[in-house]
Amino acid sequence: MATFATLVVLGLLWGGVYLLMAEGLNLIYGVMKVVNLAHGDFIVLGGLLALTLFGRYGLSPVVAFPLAAALLFVIGAAVQGGVLERIPLAKPEGELRTLLATFGLSYVVANTSFLIWGSQFQSIPFLQSAFAVGPIAVPQGLLACSLLAAALAVAVHAWLRHTAVGRAVRATAQSALGAAACGLNVRRLRIVTFALGAAMAGGAGALVIALVPFQTSSGGDLTVQAFTLIALGGLGSYLGAWLAAELLGITEVMAQYYLGSDAAAAVIYLVFIAVLVFRPQGLLGRTMRI
Amino acid sequence: MTTRRELLQTSAAITLLGAMAQPRRGAAAAGPPIRVGCSITQTGPYSAPAVFELQGYQLAAAELNKAGGVLGRPIEIVAYDDQGNPSTAVQLYQKLIHSDRVDLLVSPYEADLVLAVAPLVTRARMVMPSLGANIEPYQGKYPYLIQAITQTPRYMMPVIDLAASRGYKTVALLVQNTQFPQELAKGIADEATAKGMSVVFREAYAPTTTDFSALVLKAAERKPDVIIGATYLADAMGIVHAAKSENVQAKMFAFSIGPVEPEFGKGLGPAAEGIFGTTLYFPSLKTAGNEAFVADFTAKFGRAPDYHAAVAYASLKVLAGAVQRVGSLDQDKILRALLQTQTDTVVGRFALSPTGMQTGYTSYVLQWQKGKQELVWPREQATAPVELPHPAW
Repeated sequence: MATFATLVVLGLLWGGVYLLMAEGLNLIYGVMKVVNLAHGDFIVLGGLLALTLFGRYGLSPVVAFPLAAALLFVIGAAVQGGVLERIPLAKPEGELRTLLATFGLSYVVANTSFLIWGSQFQSIPFLQSAFAVGPIAVPQGLLACSLLAAALAVAVHAWLRHTAVGRAVRATAQSALGAAACGLNVRRLRIVTFALGAAMAGGAGALVIALVPFQTSSGGDLTVQAFTLIALGGLGSYLGAWLAAELLGITEVMAQYYLGSDAAAAVIYLVFIAVLVFRPQGLLGRTMRI
Repeated sequence: MTTRRELLQTSAAITLLGAMAQPRRGAAAAGPPIRVGCSITQTGPYSAPAVFELQGYQLAAAELNKAGGVLGRPIEIVAYDDQGNPSTAVQLYQKLIHSDRVDLLVSPYEADLVLAVAPLVTRARMVMPSLGANIEPYQGKYPYLIQAITQTPRYMMPVIDLAASRGYKTVALLVQNTQFPQELAKGIADEATAKGMSVVFREAYAPTTTDFSALVLKAAERKPDVIIGATYLADAMGIVHAAKSENVQAKMFAFSIGPVEPEFGKGLGPAAEGIFGTTLYFPSLKTAGNEAFVADFTAKFGRAPDYHAAVAYASLKVLAGAVQRVGSLDQDKILRALLQTQTDTVVGRFALSPTGMQTGYTSYVLQWQKGKQELVWPREQATAPVELPHPAW
């Protein structure tokens, strides 16, 4: 029984980590309906930045988190303003071109990181121990990431619902044309959104590198993982992404324990395929969309 | 715009210039040079270990030349850049064999490049001391390849030896589901059984696994004395991380590849303390000629040699020794001489099976102690005493 409870706790906490890494992608997709294929590379960049801050200046990932987020905010704004805004979404194949542009961007980010940090796997020693809650050991690092993921989800939700900018972003998500007709600066809203999404990826990376070692080429896998998660949740749905993250975390841990580690990798994608077949709109579909 | 061919030519020219610029003091080697060909991953993401290997060859050549060359002729390394691409390596070995007509061949790094060029080298009936650790190519499939690096199943033999010497009885094996760790796990299980230990848990995981929490929990339920990972770096770190964050205890934790990398200690910090790993070579080894090798290598290249440099250095030295004994460049005679060679190198005892499998080299056990790697086993090579059992996290 203690084992089962431990597995549930571990699954929920890993779910939080997956959510943390997917939130930025979800925000960008929700507003612009474009998958940022450089998302995983942004996460890795944030992580490697935290690594340098730790290695050279002894700064903990807690300090690196806002710095990585700030740097990625600037990079995100530059990318959206300088590149993606120049690709007209309304024209035929606009979304495909944007997708290709972010694909190219992913190479640029990954290879620039390679020149700076090399190809080896890297990690940061941070929050490695466990709290004992009765017979259950709760890993500190996982707990911290999960709590942060939850806080970010709530904060983004509140921002979108209760601030003027947030409401304007949602209006843009529903209809860019309508929002522009009402006098909103749609271009600026998209830049802010993309920058925020990138910042969330960078911040997530600064913490997750302490849990999962990154190398500069890890970005692709992370993008796929985050995309699977938000597709499972119903693209752009906040509560859906959360549910999907916890489902993935629990499925993975349970499958690893009861079916074997080799099977665990497959089970997650079987769940994904099942959802696509039987509930193609995702777990929550159109509810709770941005 | 520089084409790839031009780049290759340039890099080859630079390498040649480098080789020619080496001082030839002492007994002057005369006559046309003996040309030793190879392709090396000199650029790209896989270049770091391969450049060590090239430097190992270069140092061996320089030393041989200083001592009067081989058969009285100087050694000249002809190295091209394969960029880590197997099909490029095949083209380059084709060029080395048929167009450059080099006299001897040495190996690229690593196993997949060796496997790519193996059929070509075998067809050309040229001997190649190879730096591929998997055993399949050396069991009669490619008779002209001889193994000049520790074979995979023997990679963790001294770890089992150390565990057995402490009276540990049970082993849990976590194995990455790729070729090297699987072949290694079989070797570990056989060796453990031979030493009277039993494998109480054995499970493979996908190479993309990042969350090891449930796997480690499950392994710990069997209460093994020793948890061994047949791993690379990221998974070794993931397993240690899971064990510490879930308070999983064992008397000994050991991993194949992982602890040997400096990033293991940097990335895990205090969690790396007491963890065991293996290495094929360590600069402090008291092996034949190692002190001079480390000094010369450091003087020539400005950094200490790693195991890639050491095995490459040893492989060219062994090859040159065989040529010298045969007295000609007849490849079949060189092969026969190599198969009978038993000699001490900087890496350890070099010996081959009748089909060319390495049966001499094993590995050395290192342990992270106070943020540093210390060599702890075999005892006669130790730089620090073993710290066992593993303390509580």
